[in-house]
Amino acid sequence: MSGPPSTYDALVVGGGHNGLCLAAYLARAGWSVALLERRHEEGGGLNTEEPSIPGFYHNLHAQFMEFLDYMPFYEDFHLERMGSRWVYPEAQCGITFADGRPPLIIHRPDLLERTHRSIARYSSSDADTFCELKRKTMEIDQALAASLYSPPPPIEQGALPNPLDNPLIAPMFAHLGLDPAYTLKSPKVIIDELFETPELRMLLYRECVEWGTPVDMEAGGTAFVMSVLWLSAIWKLMIGGTHTLAHAMTQACLREGVTFLESAEVSKIVLSDGRATGAETTDGRTFSARHVVASSVDVGQTLLDMVGGENLSQLWRRRAEHFRYGPSHVLATTAWCLTEAPHYRSADLDEEIDRCFYTVVGFEEPDQMLDYIRAAYGGHIPQPGAGMWVNSLFDPSQAPAGRHVATGWFFFPTADRLDEQGWDEIRRTYNDRFLEVWSRYAPNINPSTVLASRLYTPDQMDSKNRMRFGDFSNGAFAIDQLNSSRPFPEAAQYRTEIEGLYLCGASSHPGGGIHAGCGYNAYKAIASDHGLAQLWEANGRIY
Amino acid sequence: MAAPGAPGARGGADGELSFDAVIIGAGHNGLTLGAYLARSGLSVGVFERRGEEGGGLCTEELTLPGFLHNVHANYHTFVGLAPAFRHLELTEEGLEYVRPEVQMASVFDDGRALCVHTDAERTHASIARFSERDADTFRRLQEEARSYVDLMLETFMYGPPVGLNDLTKALVTFGLDERSEFLEAKLRGSTIAQFLDRHFESDAVKAHLAFHAAICGYATDSKGLAIGFPLLVGKIDNWQLCLGGSHRLAHTLWRDLVRHGGLVHVQCDVERILVADGRAVGIELADGREVRARQLVASSIDVEQTLERLLADDPSTAALRARTGELRHPAWSLFSVHLALSSAPRYTAAAFDPDVDRAWVINLGYASAAELIADWQAVRQGRLPDPHPNAAVNSLFDARDAPPGSFTGLLRQIAPAKPQNGSIESWDEVKDAYATRCIETWQRFAPNIGEAVLASAIDTPADIARKLVNMRGGDWMVGEIALENLLDRRPLRELANYRTPVERLYMCGSTQHPHGFITFAPGYNALQVIARDLDLEPWWRWA
Repeated sequence: MSGPPSTYDALVVGGGHNGLCLAAYLARAGWSVALLERRHEEGGGLNTEEPSIPGFYHNLHAQFMEFLDYMPFYEDFHLERMGSRWVYPEAQCGITFADGRPPLIIHRPDLLERTHRSIARYSSSDADTFCELKRKTMEIDQALAASLYSPPPPIEQGALPNPLDNPLIAPMFAHLGLDPAYTLKSPKVIIDELFETPELRMLLYRECVEWGTPVDMEAGGTAFVMSVLWLSAIWKLMIGGTHTLAHAMTQACLREGVTFLESAEVSKIVLSDGRATGAETTDGRTFSARHVVASSVDVGQTLLDMVGGENLSQLWRRRAEHFRYGPSHVLATTAWCLTEAPHYRSADLDEEIDRCFYTVVGFEEPDQMLDYIRAAYGGHIPQPGAGMWVNSLFDPSQAPAGRHVATGWFFFPTADRLDEQGWDEIRRTYNDRFLEVWSRYAPNINPSTVLASRLYTPDQMDSKNRMRFGDFSNGAFAIDQLNSSRPFPEAAQYRTEIEGLYLCGASSHPGGGIHAGCGYNAYKAIASDHGLAQLWEANGRIY
Repeated sequence: MAAPGAPGARGGADGELSFDAVIIGAGHNGLTLGAYLARSGLSVGVFERRGEEGGGLCTEELTLPGFLHNVHANYHTFVGLAPAFRHLELTEEGLEYVRPEVQMASVFDDGRALCVHTDAERTHASIARFSERDADTFRRLQEEARSYVDLMLETFMYGPPVGLNDLTKALVTFGLDERSEFLEAKLRGSTIAQFLDRHFESDAVKAHLAFHAAICGYATDSKGLAIGFPLLVGKIDNWQLCLGGSHRLAHTLWRDLVRHGGLVHVQCDVERILVADGRAVGIELADGREVRARQLVASSIDVEQTLERLLADDPSTAALRARTGELRHPAWSLFSVHLALSSAPRYTAAAFDPDVDRAWVINLGYASAAELIADWQAVRQGRLPDPHPNAAVNSLFDARDAPPGSFTGLLRQIAPAKPQNGSIESWDEVKDAYATRCIETWQRFAPNIGEAVLASAIDTPADIARKLVNMRGGDWMVGEIALENLLDRRPLRELANYRTPVERLYMCGSTQHPHGFITFAPGYNALQVIARDLDLEPWWRWA
């Protein structure tokens, strides 16, 4: 009657999707596994709550799912049988205008002719270029997925890190017929070179930051292909909210025998003779690991707070201390309870905009979009504008009958840029400012149709989910913190300098996003170090 | 694996939905029944309308990140008594409870305070400050009640109901009236207030005991409820707090269910129970999917939804359906204010008795049973009483439920289901002002509260009904606690033994004997009936 056992083969710190993924594979490989989660719920950013009126469900972090078709965890553990379900909206992402211009809408890849029709209203050459690139990108999607679901190419000790030293890049650019010189350019420069239509450029800038790639990041050619050409417009909506995915993942883990320890905040990773052998929680519980402690918490918190800088080499300590959070990947989630779904002015020209999964609102000119992104990255609260989801259009279970729920993202500066009162003020006023903008685009959305709204800000993401400074990818996307250099070159293979301690969270490759790739790749590293079954490459998968 | 872009793709194709037992609703009773059945070797699928399992066992960060509030169930009084704790090995799964040493208190406007401790001697000393005689009487009452409460509850709660007359006869045959000073058959004609007047002299003592009954859902002035009062006293010192939040109990039950092969499907509203040849064969979900039930269907939700919605076209239940108007729901409900606090309350009455500052549940200001009766009458007439909320600060006993140095607080007030004789929705208009009055009342007794409030969240009877739709009109007991609605009369005689006119369709929720509250009893009792019908090996009888 004394509670769960205290010793396991592996301890996994953090119950987000990456921690759940690693725990499931380790348990399937035959290990006893305990997962320690600080919160009272599993899922990390897969959290869906009713923050304003009961019955209106809002995804407070993760919104769209672009990896479900590729995610090994999803397939290998039959997450649909475990209760996960999704809808794949036809009109995927669009931008709407208040001034009579038609909306621009990118549809699912199997409906490219609709995308073509939409872009061609502005430029037939842009429509040709975009659709051809999208088509060719989808031809190599498995190879692109393989690059995420594999550890990055290692950097030999002493070698210069080179972001272009990746065997995928040259054939990818050749297949797409893209100028190899683009590999060195920023996504913004590439978008401007490829497309002439200002309206399309704006939408693509936004698409780029949607996955976290800064539009101005140099040597961003690969990131452009990934975020703009591949991962945009293959978005699924989780029925019932994204937390249902966490729920299915948890049921999969339970079926494999994973032990769940909730409200278990790890204060310390226990070392014995320089090896990671356990974890202590803030309330004084201690758990031991026979083989492995794996942390899905970001690298700074793992190494500096839990291991302790004094237990690190000088190099590792320096690396951890200088790991950067934000300014990319910081957002605020705006949540609205509505009596009706938005009806956009621009629907007069293309009614699909009212059924679009993700609609960008509040931007008329490309510079406005760039100013917005750059303001947020520069530490300033931007002028209101958002991308909005109305999930209840596709899934009535997310709102009471006849009502609608809208959730959107504002890209915001990191939490440290405002003090507590400052964020309080933003929470009190910013939604109203956005509503004035939104009403110009969708006049039926106004105080008479809004039942309630809430704004969930970066400082709250930090306090709720320990996403430091609100950085939901657990570390900035910058060329020196990506791929073989994520989180830093010496730690990029999921192993640390502490024997038995592994990284399995979003501060490792491939970073943020609900792909469970960090946990999957960490399993590959652990399995090869400990002789566990090679559970990957199942079902003919090339990764 | 479906290719991205597959036309019309929609999740959910992986595996048909088919189980031995299908349970509607994942509140603690549905989960309990499911876990027992799963441990009996049946495949079990539980279908839950909300995004989380647990029903009233919901814990959410209602105010600020890191502050865990028990939205509904806060007090668990059957810990250690309910068979599920042993049979389902809940503590082995990590469930932890704390039983605060100072269980409850009343603070009065004259600066005095009365405390009920787990230590009976200290309770005696506290009551003796009001009346020596009452202290002795209470000690005798508690000792007597303790001598039979577990046996009586095990006999009468954890088994299908017997009739009131049979129960009375059994007690008379047993010689209860001679053997017992307090429990007697004629109490079935008395109110709790009458019982208190007969045995106690101090208004303060009577106020506290009436308050205790009120928190248990027993109205002070309802005829017949006196017979249950000694049983309440028998458990008056067993009020326990689920560490990490009440929702942890739901997670623990869920995990036990899944570990034994069951699954919970969340965000799955059930539309219909499928009946073929008079027998329940499955359910249809609101999204049109069908779930086959090979052996049984059990509904843990309210009778109205079960009969009127799920069985709308079923002829065998038409007669019962015509009688749903007879179902008894109270005119009162609960109004709650959840608070994030920067400090714990410091009561003025601590000068009289320092123990009030470490008491769990505190009656703020009812100084006589008559005042409670006046409030009962007010709420039944749809009037908002002057607030006499009770206050509980869980963080005094559970450091995990708030950030270090901070506290959660709960104010709860009996309140009309429909204020101002209006609709339940009219709560939305009056809730803010009423919450302010509740907080002011607390401040009157604990002056530091005014400055301690960091944030608050209000939960009205309307919100209860919106969030947990089977608590119709905010009826958190899912059927009134009144003598006419208990035992074999609950919810209707024809449904009282957990069977329904539809073969292999069972009722297993709080509509059934004994009643709502975290008893596990309806689910456990339905199990006994199901085990008989299905010829299951009752492994739990000797576990």
